[in-house]
Amino acid sequence: MDLLANLGHGFGVALTLNNLLFCLIGCVIGTAIGVLPGIGPVATISLLLPITFGQPATTAIIMLAGIYYGAQYGGSTTAILLNLPGEVSSVVTTLEGYKMARRGRAGAALSIAALGSFFAGSVATILVAASGPLLTQVALSFGPADYFSLMFLGLIISAVLAQGSVVKSIGMVVFGVSLGMVGTDVQTGQQRFTFGIPELSDGVGFVSIAMGMFGIAEIILNLERPEARSVMSGKVGSLMMTREEFRRSIPAVLRGTTVGSLLGILPGGGAALASFGSYMMERKVSKGRHEFGTGAIEGVAGPEAANNAASQTSFIPLLTLGIPANAVMALMVGALIIQGIQPGPRMVEAQPDLFWGLIASMWVGNLMLLVINLPMIGVWVKLLAVPYRHMYPSIMIFCAIGVYSLQNNVFDVYQTVVFGIFGYLCSKLRLEAAPMLIGFVLGPMMEEHLRRAMLLSRGDPMVFLERPISATMLAIAFIALVAMLLPNVRKGKDSALAEGG
Amino acid sequence: MSWAVGRRALLACSVPAFGGATRASAQAWPSQPIRLIVPFAPGGTTDIVARLVAAGLQERLGVSVVVENRAGAGATVGSEMAARAAPDGTTLVMSNIASHGISPSVYRGRIRYDAVTDFTHIALVITNPTVWVANRDSGIRTLADAAARARSASGLDVATSGAGSSNHLMVVRMGQLVGKELNHIPFRGAGPAMQAVIAGQVPMMSDSLPSASSHIRQGSVVPVAMASAERHPSFPDVPTFREQGFDLASDSWFGLSGPAGIPAPIVERLHRETMAFISTPAVRARFAELGGTPGTMTPAAYTEFIRSEVATWAPLVQASGATAD
Amino acid sequence: MKLNTKDLISAAILIGCAVIGLWLNTDHTMGTARRMGPGYMPFLGFAILLALGVIVLIIGLFNGPDPIARWTGPEIGFLLAGAAAGTAAGLVASKVGGWPSAGWNSLGLGMFVGCMVVAVVKSWRPLFLISAAFALFGLLLEPAGLMATIAICVILSAFADETHTPKGVAGLVLFLCVLCYAVFIYELDIRVPVWPQF
Repeated sequence: MDLLANLGHGFGVALTLNNLLFCLIGCVIGTAIGVLPGIGPVATISLLLPITFGQPATTAIIMLAGIYYGAQYGGSTTAILLNLPGEVSSVVTTLEGYKMARRGRAGAALSIAALGSFFAGSVATILVAASGPLLTQVALSFGPADYFSLMFLGLIISAVLAQGSVVKSIGMVVFGVSLGMVGTDVQTGQQRFTFGIPELSDGVGFVSIAMGMFGIAEIILNLERPEARSVMSGKVGSLMMTREEFRRSIPAVLRGTTVGSLLGILPGGGAALASFGSYMMERKVSKGRHEFGTGAIEGVAGPEAANNAASQTSFIPLLTLGIPANAVMALMVGALIIQGIQPGPRMVEAQPDLFWGLIASMWVGNLMLLVINLPMIGVWVKLLAVPYRHMYPSIMIFCAIGVYSLQNNVFDVYQTVVFGIFGYLCSKLRLEAAPMLIGFVLGPMMEEHLRRAMLLSRGDPMVFLERPISATMLAIAFIALVAMLLPNVRKGKDSALAEGG
Repeated sequence: MSWAVGRRALLACSVPAFGGATRASAQAWPSQPIRLIVPFAPGGTTDIVARLVAAGLQERLGVSVVVENRAGAGATVGSEMAARAAPDGTTLVMSNIASHGISPSVYRGRIRYDAVTDFTHIALVITNPTVWVANRDSGIRTLADAAARARSASGLDVATSGAGSSNHLMVVRMGQLVGKELNHIPFRGAGPAMQAVIAGQVPMMSDSLPSASSHIRQGSVVPVAMASAERHPSFPDVPTFREQGFDLASDSWFGLSGPAGIPAPIVERLHRETMAFISTPAVRARFAELGGTPGTMTPAAYTEFIRSEVATWAPLVQASGATAD
Repeated sequence: MKLNTKDLISAAILIGCAVIGLWLNTDHTMGTARRMGPGYMPFLGFAILLALGVIVLIIGLFNGPDPIARWTGPEIGFLLAGAAAGTAAGLVASKVGGWPSAGWNSLGLGMFVGCMVVAVVKSWRPLFLISAAFALFGLLLEPAGLMATIAICVILSAFADETHTPKGVAGLVLFLCVLCYAVFIYELDIRVPVWPQF
């Protein structure tokens, strides 16, 4: 069994002391930011990106991944106990979870959230391990035209799934792509849009954009609308589920895992979309559907399983094609490239430690989360007592040091200020930052593939329609666009609150 | 397996990074991690050789040496970055025939460094010939096949590690000999280019021997012709360009450089350690396997060599009409 | 007509970027579809951006009303004053020579002054005081070292939130200095001046 041997190798990597430690750090940080509203994984990962440079690539990615899926666990805790979704992906958990807490079943809700997440995480780990190498084989037959069309599809989906106006989101995607053109043209060496600034010849700083638009802009927005922190009322109650609750949860967890795994692979998909999809499904098909609105356990079990499954399967396009499915994955691409690893189909072969180590660490991380979460719920809730006035200067200082230490250049700090103000403006105008970040990462890759595809086709654009893979991608993108223009679908999406994270 | 070296280097990195062995106690160089910029995407000759050298220097200097790939524009993006870095011995770059020989002419007017005066050149690490390889199912086995394909209506696509590389010039000069321009497909480095050739998106590639050698041995690509005067000792079965009736030969070289103004003791130490490392039997054997010859020049000789290379390539590039556009 | 102010401003930003981009892009050769020059992809990008901007503009004319918060007189006045003061400070700093003109200091000074002027207005404070503190970080870090910079920036940013107490801020400064020293200097060993350089 190749798969078993490879997974064994992966566990060998994941279980080294250093990697275990960083996996734990990632999970703890992830849980913490999941609990705290107003700090998301995108901001945290961009914040911690520079800190990971000193680490080997595998360790760095293991930790960053831990933050991402850890946040899904943490987000559910406050959603259930305080009706306060720590993450976008746990918004739907508040619907049934908080009702359960009000009925005195908070403990059961927390248990099923953790157990469901763990089950889904385990399944998703196996899925990534089994399908990754297979998809990699498929990916090797991707030509430049196919890559271009796939990225195009990813951009369209990320825009379509973003909150608010589709046209504005596509506008932000294209803006991101244009921003990616700044710097030295990789083929001709021409300086583009650099205004003679040497710091820009290598492009606009990715971390500066991410920290400005997600870190700084978020601080400012949070300061403007001081959030009333509700204090925990009532008791958690027994963590034990009743036999009845357990029995009802099983099918919901299974369905949630399936939905989440599938939606996670989609370019532009992610945890938020998955939890919403699963909630909709449970409300339609589960046995307890008549109880929805009064605290149905299926409404916690399904979405919680789904968001965790999705946060793991969204690594598949990254690991096999080198294409980020959402903003968090875009950050991972940045982290890998800085480490000198080109994400793509050759990663499985060229970086087996990283590939299998990461997969194994996901399962290890899920186990850790289960262990650190259930007994420590009280500690996490206490975290909410830290006032925001102490949080924001800390976040700001960490951002600043992180940005500076990238290249030891203050230009990056000033660049971040500009993007902070721009990010604030964008959120006031309901222009989404996540699609822009994805556009920024994919833009230069798209240009490279477009040029190469056209060189190979001798300037004939029909190549994008003649190649079956490429044509399929473009067709799906077209359908997604048209579907969003239909009023019904749009209405459904608006409540889905997809941030891509 | 190049990753095996990389992995050991990574494991070694993790110890000082978290264990705290590199704490800034002594101000003497080397006390900080060293960044070695590779101006190509991972997987090419520059990258393979840089990772070998990084592992060797790390062991000998006692600080971590981190390889950083900064690809683009004929290796000029990464080289420019190195030229701008502080000359404190913590930023080095793999200088090579593209960034420090041919690109200054190919990217004339766009390049923003002087290949000689903006750098401290430390050591020539490896020289090796160029080899042309073909996809297994492309039907191309000899240069005659390639020439016939080139003259046909569809023309011949040839991948390279980027415009401005010696491999690129080989494509241009081969086109002149064949009598029809070849369709040059530049990549960000030999790694992604080789991937496209193996997958069959591009039928041929002009590559430096070290990055192609493992693929030739594995049989994932077919070697067509070696651009050396004699048959290569490591690949005696591969005929040369001359044998096949095309009078072409091309060597590429790769070395270690840093920004201008690195203090002499640091240069001396780096040169000594690099030379000692590449002359160990294990590294010599590895170089032979890759198809390269270790360099022996002093820093001064390497600087002179680069000066002469820039001067030699300028008229050749102009005569060939090679451009990056 | 139901004007959607947010969409109209968004459209203005998108169209503005597109037009400026297209104009700057005239410097770059387009090449052909087969051999694209450096100007080809940016041209495509900005052209699409322009088209999307126009669509947002047209939609914005009808799908309102969605007004943005109305700006008061002082808010607008100080915003303009800040922009002017920032530009002036940056220009002056770049001319006087010495430390203000070195490296990117003139840019940082311009940003800092501009943001501080706008931050006089209370409703602008979160946005511009945080930005000013961030710019100040860039200005101070290299000459003053990490510890002093943390202290000054935290104190400045504390004015963005009225619930701070002097004691709380002092505690926070101390905590952050110790934490950053432990994490960034001791553990990660990043190359940053720690103490003031004289």
